[in-house]
Amino acid sequence: MSSLFNDYQPGKFFDEVFSAPGAARSHYEALLSNVGSLTPGDYSSLQKAVDAAFLKMGVTFTVYGDDQGTERIFPFDLMPRIIPQREWERVEAGLIQRITALNLFLNDIYHGQKILTDKAVPEELVLSASHYRPEFKGVKVPHGIYIHICGTDLVRDDKGEYFVLEDNGRCPSGASYMLENRHAMKRAFPGLLQSLPVRPVDTYGTMLRETLEHLAPKGVLDPTVVVLTPGIYNSAYFEHCYLAKQMGVPIVEGRDLIMRNDRVFMRTTKGLEQVHVIYRRIDDDFLDPLVFRKDSLLGVPGIINSYRKGHVALANSIGTGVADDKAVYALVPKMIEYYLDQEPILPNVKTYLGIKKKECAYILDNLEKLVVKAVNESGGYGMLMGPSASKKERSDFADRIKANPRNYIAQPVLQLSRHPVFVDDHFEGRHIDLRPYVLYGDRVRVVPGGLTRVALRKGSLVVNSSQGGGSKDTWVLWDECSDKAASTQLAA
Amino acid sequence: MLSRVADSIYWMARYVERAENLSRLLLSTQDLLLDAGAEGLDEEQFWRPILATTGDEEAYTAVHKKIKGRDVAAFVALRPENPNSILNSIRAARENARTVRDQISDDVWECLNGLRLFVESNEGRSTFRNQNAAFYERVLRRSYQFQGIADSTTPRGEVWHFLRLGTCIERADQMSRLIDTCSAISMDMPPHPQSRPLRWAALLRSCSAWHAFQAEHSKLDPKKIIEYLLLDETFPRSVACCVVELHQTLQCLCGVGSLHHMPAPVRRAGRLRSDLAYTTVDEVLAFGLHEYIDALQTRLNDIGEAIFQTFVLYADLTPLKDDGPLESTPTQPLGAYHVHSDEDAQIQQQQ
Repeated sequence: MSSLFNDYQPGKFFDEVFSAPGAARSHYEALLSNVGSLTPGDYSSLQKAVDAAFLKMGVTFTVYGDDQGTERIFPFDLMPRIIPQREWERVEAGLIQRITALNLFLNDIYHGQKILTDKAVPEELVLSASHYRPEFKGVKVPHGIYIHICGTDLVRDDKGEYFVLEDNGRCPSGASYMLENRHAMKRAFPGLLQSLPVRPVDTYGTMLRETLEHLAPKGVLDPTVVVLTPGIYNSAYFEHCYLAKQMGVPIVEGRDLIMRNDRVFMRTTKGLEQVHVIYRRIDDDFLDPLVFRKDSLLGVPGIINSYRKGHVALANSIGTGVADDKAVYALVPKMIEYYLDQEPILPNVKTYLGIKKKECAYILDNLEKLVVKAVNESGGYGMLMGPSASKKERSDFADRIKANPRNYIAQPVLQLSRHPVFVDDHFEGRHIDLRPYVLYGDRVRVVPGGLTRVALRKGSLVVNSSQGGGSKDTWVLWDECSDKAASTQLAA
Repeated sequence: MLSRVADSIYWMARYVERAENLSRLLLSTQDLLLDAGAEGLDEEQFWRPILATTGDEEAYTAVHKKIKGRDVAAFVALRPENPNSILNSIRAARENARTVRDQISDDVWECLNGLRLFVESNEGRSTFRNQNAAFYERVLRRSYQFQGIADSTTPRGEVWHFLRLGTCIERADQMSRLIDTCSAISMDMPPHPQSRPLRWAALLRSCSAWHAFQAEHSKLDPKKIIEYLLLDETFPRSVACCVVELHQTLQCLCGVGSLHHMPAPVRRAGRLRSDLAYTTVDEVLAFGLHEYIDALQTRLNDIGEAIFQTFVLYADLTPLKDDGPLESTPTQPLGAYHVHSDEDAQIQQQQ
């Protein structure tokens, strides 16, 4: 065993690398013998070189609440997270099952609402979701797909079992970091990537473009696809631009687009040019001031009407946020059963709903054991970590839950799996999650790997970038035996 | 290409060029002061032209009572409150680059981002404090690097043309300002006759024309210098040379066929080009150098305005074929990032 990991303590958690102190899992052996042989000084200069490259390239996100609109790099930990092929196959199958069921669900509730009349899920809960868009009922969307790009958050518990934490069916971000992380690893450990059968992720741009082109209105053979961004001051601007570049399509702001005859055009130096598919990175609320928020300057007045008439396609569709409601999330296993007649491959985290009287009582009685979340918040905001919260915070939250039980859910505190992270001059365990990216075009495809997010603060369970999170590259390994099969599959 | 993107590329290039010119101006003035120091010249007399050139006298006097070299240099170089400072020009260049990152090469982007990281860093500030020549040289070198990388990595399409438009028009404008202030100051400096040639030498240095001019002319004759910097098409920083390229670039962009129905930018640039080609320096001086340059700047502005009208606003004005009557659409802010546009930030963060 190498020196860098000699003193590493996996602790009482599920550690991704070590099953016990000094006992590495087999899929990490090659990596450990390589990385472990470095001195702390070598390792940290590699890390510094990567950080400097990220800053130089402007691989940054904007921190709000700072008058300079400070840009920071998303902290990156060099040691990759590895997922063996067999484990990945299960994750992949589970994600495909889930996005399929979610799309059937969205298509249903925006059309016949069969699942509600059959009482498979409670009607009042679904229809009271704040991102449910009744004005969109009955609108036909291309191929009946609502969520084309999904960034599901997965976590592992103390036994290493995978769970779905969130689905993120609106505008999941982070794919650019997944791509940039891999790029950085190629620079830092070229030999290692060559010697290990790591599945590539850099086809994401092409896959995304194919997914989007699939939505083009009928009869358009060479559709114009664009990425719609709020602009350079948006926290995820780097990503919007990066993905546009990867796909080779223009990145536009609302002010670049103009409506004519219910069609969308972009203003170019040579006049107006029609746009057929928009990968929009603007929330529903800001997309069209004629339909949603009247004060929005980011969107395009009339774009929704054009979408309704089928002249332009939007990805993701309108109203997918209903599936992101954390109370509706709790119903996904029932959706899988109802639409697909299957057992969920990836289970949900046990979730108590504030709207159900008995469960609400349980939540209120057990606040110190639970994580409470507001159903529409994300990014680590609007939540209570019961065990670490003060008495006052708990009683404040209890009041809020009582005042509006529909707005809260609670889950047991999961002891997320941990992964070694380089801190100062040695490795320490930090909690991680995984956000794989699922694309739904002419078929469902999952990028092998995804973005592994790390809660860099010691003991923290919150991985969001706004809360001190960082990321890692994620390596899905081909099995030696299935190696050939997989490469032929890729070629096809 | 998107109109907004064209505008951003154009302004990105203009701001880089502006930062470069300011750096060279400060550097040469500082050198000049070292040469003339022994003659006990008034500090103010040396530094006022800088503020006159950049048009910032008023803004400066709002902050400082007296004109002092140190203060002027700091004001022009790094003051965040000065919208025309080198710092803010570089920021604006970089913000525009950021909006068009998908259009420019990674190397161009890294070059500008690196420059902006430098001027905003402690290293940048301390370089400026301790040895400001090194600071200016760093900005200059980066700007050359920008030109070189852009030249060798940009396909000769619209991106390239708008980049050149921005560079040429800004360079022509800065050059005309330089000649104007230098000559005006030089004329009212009779008490120190020996400083006059120094001033003209500094003018040549501040546009990197010293050696080129020396190679062609033996004497520092002000008339020859004005002719060289204004009308000589062979020197790459002269106004005439910039206008020639401006005109050629606009012809490429517009795909000009016949001489009739020529788009406004091509027409205006072409007219200015031939005026410069067929004017003698004696005519310029007879007309009045200051008046001539005033008119020149107005015409450069008109060309800039025509570029904006034609390539950026054009799309709004054209009806589509087989289209019904144009409905009016609410006008929204268009175009590039400039130093004063804070409200954008709030709007974009609202979601």
